[in-house]
Amino acid sequence: MPDVAHSNAITFPDGQANWAALLATGDARLGAPDRFDGQRVVFVVDTMQEAFGAIIYGLTHGLDYGVVERHRVSPEVAGRFAENHVTLFDWAGARVMGDAQDAGDMLEPGRVTVLTSGTTGLLKLIPHSWETLNTFDRVAELPENTWFLPYQIGSYAWFQMVALGLFKPGQNLICGDFNDLAASFEAALRTGQITAISSTPTFWRHALMNIDFDLIRSAPLTSISMGGEIVDQAILDELGGIFPAARIRHIYASSEAGAAIVVTDGKAGFDVKLTDPSRAIGVKVEENRLYIRSPYSNKADAAGWVDTGDIVERRGDRFLFCGRAGNTMINVGGQKAFPPDIEAYLNAHPNVLWSQVTARRAPLMGNLPVAKVVLTKDADKATAERDLTEYCSKGLAEYAVPRMWEFLDSIPMRASLKS
Amino acid sequence: MERQEILDTMNLVMTNKGREPITEEAVATRDANFRSLDFSEVALRIETKLGRELTFDAAAMRNIETVKDVLDFFEKATA
Repeated sequence: MPDVAHSNAITFPDGQANWAALLATGDARLGAPDRFDGQRVVFVVDTMQEAFGAIIYGLTHGLDYGVVERHRVSPEVAGRFAENHVTLFDWAGARVMGDAQDAGDMLEPGRVTVLTSGTTGLLKLIPHSWETLNTFDRVAELPENTWFLPYQIGSYAWFQMVALGLFKPGQNLICGDFNDLAASFEAALRTGQITAISSTPTFWRHALMNIDFDLIRSAPLTSISMGGEIVDQAILDELGGIFPAARIRHIYASSEAGAAIVVTDGKAGFDVKLTDPSRAIGVKVEENRLYIRSPYSNKADAAGWVDTGDIVERRGDRFLFCGRAGNTMINVGGQKAFPPDIEAYLNAHPNVLWSQVTARRAPLMGNLPVAKVVLTKDADKATAERDLTEYCSKGLAEYAVPRMWEFLDSIPMRASLKS
Repeated sequence: MERQEILDTMNLVMTNKGREPITEEAVATRDANFRSLDFSEVALRIETKLGRELTFDAAAMRNIETVKDVLDFFEKATA
C-alpha cells in the first residue's frame, strides 16, 4: 500500500481540507476503530466532506468498508446491504443504522465496497481494495494538478479519483456539488485553478450547453480524461479544438474489469495493437466481444480474463465500441443498425450537441431507429428534422437513418454522468 | 384518421427524404418511390399522433400496391 499524500488539498463546496485533517476529524468523531470489529461497514454520509472523512478513516484503520450517500439508502437498498452482511453506519450521528450485521467468515479487512447501479438501476456491491482501485501506481510521475471531481460518491469512477488524490502527491481535488453540478463546475472554473478533469462525454456536452463558452475556453486545462460511455470522434475533436494544449485521453474502465485501456492518440476506439498478447494489461476480442486481463479487475476466469460484456468491431486498424452485448443492435427488417454508429455520425453534425438513438417497434420492418437530439442552437423543429434526415441519408445506410426525431431542450444526464 | 391527414403524413415522410410529394392515389407505391421503410415510418407517426399502438392486419399489409391501398389501410386501422 503506497503512502497517503496527506498534504494534498481537497476543496469541498463548503471549505477545504487535507487528508491529515480529515483523518483527525474522523478519529475524533468515531473514536477507536475496534467498534467495527467483525463488521463489514458502509458509512452513510450526507456530504462529500463526510465521504472523504469516511474514506481516510477506513483506509487508515484497515476496515472492510464503503461509503454511500444517505438519499440512496431506500428500504430496498438497506435490505440489499443486509443480505450482504453489511452494517450501515450513520457518519454524522456516529451510530449504527438499523441492526448491526455480523459479517462472520465473510469479513475481509482491506476490502473496499464500490457501488454501481449499472444499467438496471439495481444497486450492486462490487468488492475492490485500494490495490485494485489505485490504478495510478504504474504512473511514475504526474505533474502537479488540480482536478475537478464530478462523480457520484461511492461509484468506481469516484473511487478512482479519490485514489489519485490519496496516493499521488501533488494531485489536489475540487469536488463538484451534486445539487447543481453545472453551477459548481462553473464556480470551479472561475477559480482558474482547475488544470485537469476526468468525466464523461455527456458531462462535457452538458457543460458546453450550460456554461459560458468563453469561461470554459479560458480554463488552463492540461489533462482531460473521458470514460464511462462511448467516446465518439465528435467530442474528441471538439475538446481538442477548445483545448489545443491539453492532453486528451479516453479510458476504458468498468467496475469489474478496472481501468484497462487508455487511448491518447485523439481517435475514437483503440488501436488493434493493444490486443498484442505481450502487453501487461491484456486485451482480446473474441466474436466481437471485449475481454480484459488486468491487475485492477475484481473478478476473472481461471486464465485471468474478465468478460466485459461490451461489443467492439474492427474497422481498419481500430476497434470501435458498439455498446453492450444484447443491447447493441436494431433489427430493421433483417438489416442491422447500430445506435452508437448512428449517434457518432449525428454528433459530428455542427448543429448537434448530443444524440441518443433507440429502437421503436414498427409494423412491417419490426423496428425502426428513432432519435432524441439536443441542438447547439434553437432551430425550427421541422427544418432541423429535414436537415438531419438529409444529412443521415448521405452517410448512413437507408435502414439506419432515424425515422422519428425528438428535440430536447437539455441533455438528460444521470447521476453517473452518463446519458 | 382523415384520409387527407394520412396523405399529409405520407408526404411529410417523402419531402423529408427530398422526394416529390404524392398527388395521385392511383399511382403504385413503387412508382411513387414510397418504400417499406416509409410505410413503417408513417405507421409510427400515426401511432404517435393518436397516442396509441395500432393493430395491423398483416394480410392486408401484404396486398398493398398503390397509394390508395396505403390510404385505405391506415384509414381502416385508425377507424
